[in-house]
Amino acid sequence: MDQASIDRAYARLSRHYDLLFERVFDGGRRRIFRALPDRPAARVLEVGVGTGLSLPLYPKTTRVVGIDYSGDMLRCASERIHLDRLPNVSLLRMDATNLVFPDGTFDAVIAAYVISATPHPERVIAEMWRVCRSGGRILFLNHFLSENTLLARVERGINRWTKPWGFRTDLELAGLLQQTGLRPDRIERVNLFGMWRLVVCTKRKAGSLTPATGSPPGT
Amino acid sequence: MPIDKDLLDILACPACRTPVTYEARDGEWLVCAACSRRYPIRDGIPVMLLEEAQTGAPKASP
Repeated sequence: MDQASIDRAYARLSRHYDLLFERVFDGGRRRIFRALPDRPAARVLEVGVGTGLSLPLYPKTTRVVGIDYSGDMLRCASERIHLDRLPNVSLLRMDATNLVFPDGTFDAVIAAYVISATPHPERVIAEMWRVCRSGGRILFLNHFLSENTLLARVERGINRWTKPWGFRTDLELAGLLQQTGLRPDRIERVNLFGMWRLVVCTKRKAGSLTPATGSPPGT
Repeated sequence: MPIDKDLLDILACPACRTPVTYEARDGEWLVCAACSRRYPIRDGIPVMLLEEAQTGAPKASP
């Protein structure tokens, strides 16, 4: 998957995204907000904000910055901001592997259904970590390859059909964690049949992530 | 200024990481003083992408 084909896919999807995905993904999206720190986060970055389905769920006191690579998806998000009157939200077009914010800018950094829709998930996670403040929270919600051998085979099989739609179904969580050095506080199963996972991490100290040595499994 | 100051304060040039400034001349832009790249603001959304940046002197509107 390269960035240009992903961009084309989301340009096609932008008009139908809410109809296709709002209900299926809503449960997981709401769980993110339960996993945010008790004290409402002052400044949150949402990576891959898409059509902005989660934007109305933020407390109005939270300053939200939403970024996406797709201009078409952002136009939908912009309409939502106007219709729902969300003055606490700003939108920017940006590459998630090159975030233009200083280190430690945000209290929480969120990516919902993004990690498997990018050519370089490990680079996105490293950037999310960098712009999160020390003590802040990093949350990502995604489908990952099942640990069940039979299901995993099915998921690998359908991967070639989902890739033209801008996302993959064969991303392994264990491999990604090892590759990035990310150590989650907890992992919750969400959405239909618990096939999606919410990964909750706290950045305990400043500095970059240290990837584990050795090759990730399955590579 | 149509762009929020709090937001402008945390934005840097994706090429050289220098803070950018707002400019409304031949359209709206975020401009990097260090490398002279100009990032267009389209429909109120800043486009902070290297491939969409204009380099050198101002030309067309975004």
